[in-house]
Amino acid sequence: MSNVVDEAPGAAREPRRAGRRRTRLSRRGRKEAFYFWLFISPWLIGFVGFLLGPMVASVYISLTEWDSFTPPQWVGLDNYTRALTEDPVFWKSLWNTFYYALISVPLGLIVGVWLANLLNKRVRGRKLFRTLIYLPTLVPLVATAMVFKMVLAPSGPLNDLLGLFGLDGPEWLLSATWIKPALIVLSVWGAGAATVLLLSAMNGIPRELYEAAEIDGAGAWRQFWSVTFPQITPIIFFNLIMGLIGAFQIFSQVYILAPNNNVGGPDNASQMMVTLLFQEAFSFYHFGYASAIAWLLFIVILVFTVIAFRTARKWVFYETEVR
Amino acid sequence: MVDRIRWRAGAGTALTAVLSMAALTACGSGDSGDDGTLTMVVWGGDVDKQTYQERVDLLEAENPDIKIDLQLIPSDQYEQKVQTMIAGGDGPDIMQVAENVNSYSSKNQLVPLDEYVESSGLDLEQRFGPVGDLYSYEDQTYAIPDRSGAMIVYYNKDLFDAAGVEYPTAEWTQEDAQAAMERLTIPGEQWGYGGAGWWAQWWSFAYQNGGQIVDDSGRPTVNSPEVVEALQWANDLTHVHHVVPTAAEYADMGPDMGGDPAFAAGKVAMNTTGFWAIGGLIESDVNWGIAPMWGGEQQAVSAFGSGLAVTRDAENPEQAFEAIDFLTDAPAQEIIIDNAQDVPANLEVQQSDAFLQPEWAPEGLNMGAFGESSEFIFRAPFIPEWNEMQATFDDNLGEFWNEGGDAQAELDEIQTQLESIIQ
Repeated sequence: MSNVVDEAPGAAREPRRAGRRRTRLSRRGRKEAFYFWLFISPWLIGFVGFLLGPMVASVYISLTEWDSFTPPQWVGLDNYTRALTEDPVFWKSLWNTFYYALISVPLGLIVGVWLANLLNKRVRGRKLFRTLIYLPTLVPLVATAMVFKMVLAPSGPLNDLLGLFGLDGPEWLLSATWIKPALIVLSVWGAGAATVLLLSAMNGIPRELYEAAEIDGAGAWRQFWSVTFPQITPIIFFNLIMGLIGAFQIFSQVYILAPNNNVGGPDNASQMMVTLLFQEAFSFYHFGYASAIAWLLFIVILVFTVIAFRTARKWVFYETEVR
Repeated sequence: MVDRIRWRAGAGTALTAVLSMAALTACGSGDSGDDGTLTMVVWGGDVDKQTYQERVDLLEAENPDIKIDLQLIPSDQYEQKVQTMIAGGDGPDIMQVAENVNSYSSKNQLVPLDEYVESSGLDLEQRFGPVGDLYSYEDQTYAIPDRSGAMIVYYNKDLFDAAGVEYPTAEWTQEDAQAAMERLTIPGEQWGYGGAGWWAQWWSFAYQNGGQIVDDSGRPTVNSPEVVEALQWANDLTHVHHVVPTAAEYADMGPDMGGDPAFAAGKVAMNTTGFWAIGGLIESDVNWGIAPMWGGEQQAVSAFGSGLAVTRDAENPEQAFEAIDFLTDAPAQEIIIDNAQDVPANLEVQQSDAFLQPEWAPEGLNMGAFGESSEFIFRAPFIPEWNEMQATFDDNLGEFWNEGGDAQAELDEIQTQLESIIQ
């Protein structure tokens, strides 16, 4: 990972020193160091106590069979082999999570960029539209999900809308095939959060670039691809990473939307990694197995984040970076 | 930035760990029971909170040496909260338990109560009838019944009168019930029955046919002909006979729609559920009545209830038992029915006028239906793997309930899975 840190685009590089040298701190330096530790300590204590400690503990738990009541039994890597080789529900939930993440994240970005581009036009009522688009993000998720239950009802408004185009809408939440697309629809509804960030990035693009492009005879489409898009890639990249992490950890939406309070949805079609983890830990009392799932999910997220960073060099443009 | 993202990822994935850590830190804190106050946890909503509190107040008034700190936990979080409390070594003294009781008792989390029962002279059989030993596991009693009521049939008198159908009785067979449902159905508008997709409902049919979900030796028997026939019938009522709304039709009525709200809205003529539906119906415009469940080859119906148990963390289990003894005795149990919360498990109260003619009941409500049903309640298998068993049914039957299908194929698959789950 260290090379990734070094090569993080835009990072100011310090000249490498040969060997480490201990420098004696001046009085002011000591004072500064004291305040540094003083102010950082709340975070540090929280981090060690509530994050690092539990993470280490969960590595241990994942190697045991533990019902949370009686003492844990050491089982070595059994939980991991069981998840990877024996449990069909694990693979199904992994596939469901991939399906959801790999469609909802890019789709959310495309919609976000499209909306931001529209809102960047000088039209009447622009402020009102901007507010309206951000509004869904402010509605609590539970309320949103309840509304979506109605919207996605077999004869609900969405299917009525599809009916106008002669399409026979599916039963969304009740169908094993359509419950994942339904969750994706719900996630795209919240694209306003990304839109606001993208919009501010677009506002920051210097007018001269467009003027120059116009003089060179570039149309609207060409201006978007050659000026706007490269300039907002850092924000797209940020949204991509955050979106991926969020999508792999999807939980509440499934928990609320799955019919009859059955977390897995019809035939486990909406069983995600975190809902499976939750069910195993808090409903079936398999804490060891749940912890193993947590670490497998960690690896999955790590892999995707690394891939995103590795490929970032090819398409993310930083103005300050000289190529 | 990279580091932050990595740690963020870690933060989410360590969900379980965070909770266990919270549990570890809780170990260090002193027990709250130092002053002798007993902690009691129950689940439910407003009515439950009020009822339990009134009962506890009565207990404290009559027993000045007992102090109880009552904690009400919302039903959907109850198991996790209690699990976290116990894992942290700070479990409650008294806890409410139900179908899932043996996840706790099989893991030595509950105190066996037999010796306390004996020394107090409490006769479980006499106080509670057949449900007296409902919460026993491997021949030891782990909880004292507190609330216990059979599933009953709610029927809409106006819809029955309009269709000219006789009101349901315990003498009905499954065929009679289906015939009535068919006459009470107006396609696309009104349905004869609310459906039997919930375990308590279709398992009743299975036991009526003489089947069992788990046999007496503890092996699952869900693909026996009796169970298959029951599940197929329950499903065919929706997808073949169309006398029950489909999942799609329910979803069109509103979010979280099912038999209970649809009955209260007058959309279905009959619904089988527990006592709790009464609370909503008293306030509705529906003209309703209740009757015992119909039968099949034999009579059988499931029951809902809960018991009170003493956990391993109780510092003074004897006093905790004393409290439970009082709470399940007649005076404290009467409050349950006065508040229209549930059916009290205490037989003496069930047969009293307070229960049979409660103030809040509409004229002529047949409260005797509960007593009548108690004679043919079947014993549901309260195995330690109860939650996993239910999830297996839910996971496999999701599409089956929504779209119809072959019960035999589904139950064969479930049987295989249950055989590996149930040890």
